[in-house]
Amino acid sequence: MILVVGEERRGRLNRASWEAIAAAQQLAAGRPLVVAVLGADIRAVALELAAAQVTEVVAIQHAALEPYTPDGYTAALEQAIVQLSPTVVVLPHTYQTRDFAPTIAARMERALVTDVIRLRISGENIAYARPMFQGKLTADVVPLGPAPHFITVQVGAFRADQASRGAVPAPVRSLSVSIDSTAIRQTPEAPFQEARQAVDLSQAQRIVSVGRGIKDAANIAVAQRLAEALGAELAASRPICDAGWLPMERQVGSSGQTVAPKLYLALGISGAIQHLVGMKGSKTIVAINKDPDAPIFEVADYGVVGDLFDIVPALTTALKE
Amino acid sequence: METLILWLLVLGCVGAFAAQVAARVRLIAAAQNTFSLDNFGSRLGRFLVDVVAQRSTIVERPLVGVAHAAVFWGFLAFSGYTTAEFLHGLGMVDLVHASGFSTYRAVLTPFAVAVLSGIVALLIRRVFVRPIALGETLSFESVVIALFIATLMVTFLLAWRLDEASLAGRANWWVHSLVILAFVVLIPASKHFHLVLSPFTVLLKSTELGNVPNLDFEKEQVGLEIVSDLGSKTVLDALTCVECGRCQVNCPAWGAGKELNPKTIILQTRDALLSGTRDRKLVEIYSDKVLWQCTTCGACENQCPVGIEHLPLIVGSRRGLVSNGEAPSYLGGMYNHLERRANIWGLTADQRQKFVESAGLEIFDPQKHDVLVWLGCAGGFEADFQKSLRSLFEILRVRHVRYGVLAKERCTGDPAKRTGNEYLYQELAKVNIDELQAARPKTILTSCPHCLKTLGSDYRKFGYHAKVVHSAAFIEELTRDMRPSPTAAGSVTYHDPCYLGRYAGQVDEPRELLRRFGATINEPVRNRENPYCCGAGGGLLFADKEEEPGSRISDVRFGQLRETGSATVVTACPFCSIMLKGARASAQAGPGARSSDADDLQIVDLMTYVNGQLAKA
Repeated sequence: MILVVGEERRGRLNRASWEAIAAAQQLAAGRPLVVAVLGADIRAVALELAAAQVTEVVAIQHAALEPYTPDGYTAALEQAIVQLSPTVVVLPHTYQTRDFAPTIAARMERALVTDVIRLRISGENIAYARPMFQGKLTADVVPLGPAPHFITVQVGAFRADQASRGAVPAPVRSLSVSIDSTAIRQTPEAPFQEARQAVDLSQAQRIVSVGRGIKDAANIAVAQRLAEALGAELAASRPICDAGWLPMERQVGSSGQTVAPKLYLALGISGAIQHLVGMKGSKTIVAINKDPDAPIFEVADYGVVGDLFDIVPALTTALKE
Repeated sequence: METLILWLLVLGCVGAFAAQVAARVRLIAAAQNTFSLDNFGSRLGRFLVDVVAQRSTIVERPLVGVAHAAVFWGFLAFSGYTTAEFLHGLGMVDLVHASGFSTYRAVLTPFAVAVLSGIVALLIRRVFVRPIALGETLSFESVVIALFIATLMVTFLLAWRLDEASLAGRANWWVHSLVILAFVVLIPASKHFHLVLSPFTVLLKSTELGNVPNLDFEKEQVGLEIVSDLGSKTVLDALTCVECGRCQVNCPAWGAGKELNPKTIILQTRDALLSGTRDRKLVEIYSDKVLWQCTTCGACENQCPVGIEHLPLIVGSRRGLVSNGEAPSYLGGMYNHLERRANIWGLTADQRQKFVESAGLEIFDPQKHDVLVWLGCAGGFEADFQKSLRSLFEILRVRHVRYGVLAKERCTGDPAKRTGNEYLYQELAKVNIDELQAARPKTILTSCPHCLKTLGSDYRKFGYHAKVVHSAAFIEELTRDMRPSPTAAGSVTYHDPCYLGRYAGQVDEPRELLRRFGATINEPVRNRENPYCCGAGGGLLFADKEEEPGSRISDVRFGQLRETGSATVVTACPFCSIMLKGARASAQAGPGARSSDADDLQIVDLMTYVNGQLAKA
């Protein structure tokens, strides 16, 4: 039997759990597959997981599992593994997993293969591919020793939408564990919250960015219309935000946000190095600038030397058609 | 009777003086010894010029400086007189009536007039002019001391007119003596203690500006975290501070309206030391905001007339923060870039390689090449600065200088060093030194003043002594025999980079080059050895707008340069160039932008300028 351990945090299922299920379904190839989820109140999450094509969902509910502590999780999961006796335990390679998986593998003296990106299955033999030397090499790792083997799968390596859903919901049963809350050594503080920016450009797929070539605050609308036609976020270089033509949070560059969209359209941006370092990770860079010597053309995949006030409206019209 | 009273008073006052001095000496002795007297010759020279001749006091504020010098020289002149009078009063030896004493007194008279004029001028300045450098509130103690000094001079002059034995004469003598005794008691706890300490502080000040010694990781040094981590020179500095505020008014961060005030840092250090809280965290004393606003331009340290070194304290405290993971987040990104890609931008080495190929650069070979050109992070990756380097290469080619570059270069570590990431700095430095030692260049030529300081000065602390030259000095020497036909280049404004003008003292070479190639030079305010920083140094190139209260330093400097009215600003540092261009862009887009004149203002690197003039000739 293959056991997947899903991840719940504050009543919500981590999407990476579905990726782990997808990996486990490949691995199970028809064999029994159980999904376990741990927490203080996990009924909703367990029902959500029941949509997967699995043998059953096991809900391990205990008050001492909230908030997450490595000691609490290790204790609960160890008891569950002993009761369910799986051959392989699959976990998503999240920060939480990174925290407790080595502990439980060491405590049970079982092999652990982390950050797995592919399964190499030939008959009964399974090797797990994982990156080494900062991704320069990929190693096929075969875990040795008695079952279960612990596997953590890299987030994004398996696709959540490829996890098969069952025709009918899988049965959900609860499994009781005992946790000695006095034996939990960690007292977690409130989770760290990244200062939330009103505009998160780092997640944008497409960005239309304006620079000093836009000349006047009133002309921002020209870029705005193109951004709407493209379904893109609007961004800017420093002088534009300094002048207050666009809010600070839309600034790209070393003193603003670092972005990596699929498409970065630079309108009238000369390409000062502080700006370039903020957008160099973009997949495709298109630059429109009057000055053929502008440094932005050094990094652009496509460059148009010309007046953005001719090109951008035409482009917007073309996109709308 | 009078003798007995004087004996009691002298013993009491000298005792009070000694007790206060002892408490301060103990603070210095308790600190880790950071005193050094290396380069003693140049230390002694500086002592004569700055202490005896009062140069650093006079240079920045001539009127105030001369007034101070009058008081200081008067003080020295009067020391014999005061000693003789006390020895006589105590009944020990009578030199007062010895032959020649009246001549000595006569000689002292013009001194007394000078001291009196000086101190009255200083008192008027302090009480009525009230310059911001002296603080926002009037120092009562300073007024008392000034009145004391005035009283000493008045009583000295009165003594000419009064019979020594008369009641008035005795009263006058006693007023004079009592003021001196009160002075002795007041000095150690006041800023006037500088008249005891500053000769030592000046002598012990490093001969190298911004000398922040390497950390020794073997000894588990991590930088300055708490008061008791402060070294003995820093403790001496704090006790010496005379609160003149030269550091404050010259600080570009303070000038741009930020919280950093170097004088405040020194006074906070002094107060913390005297209050005896040895385990107090430095960051709580100064605040982290203040510590990260320093561009390490060196103006404070360079202007200080009493030998205080601010940079070891500021960078040392930054080190303490960095080792606890408390660097600001914008530096985290830059450190990552340095760790992963060994350049400040985080760009990949192939982009430098592209430039190396397109500029036709050869890999340095000591048999083939005269100089090794160090490109630096700007030269390797920044398009505008690469244009300037192409100009440099063009000049070298015309003058038949053979040059090559390293196949692979890492950042010298300057931004890591100045921001207190000593570990990263040393890692980068060691690899660079290994490669430079293998390449064996006789001369390293760079166009970046930060690389100049790091390679040429900081790397000496690892035992690497190469001749490192900035392009301004190198090309100035190389083109000395050239007399290009004077093409009217018009007037240009030259902006001295801090790391070239103030740190390296190279202020004449760039000007000579400009003049040679046809320019008339407009000088901005704050120039030569005391320029106003562009705002890039000390890691602030990467600072967020949010981390910058007040104006941007670069905007302030850009305004000063624009005031000169030149159409062209020439500078000799890629980072000054980046900052000033950024400021120009902001000025063009900003509210009330005078886009026409800002557009017209060209910001040009010195090498581009020279090569452009050569091409015209």
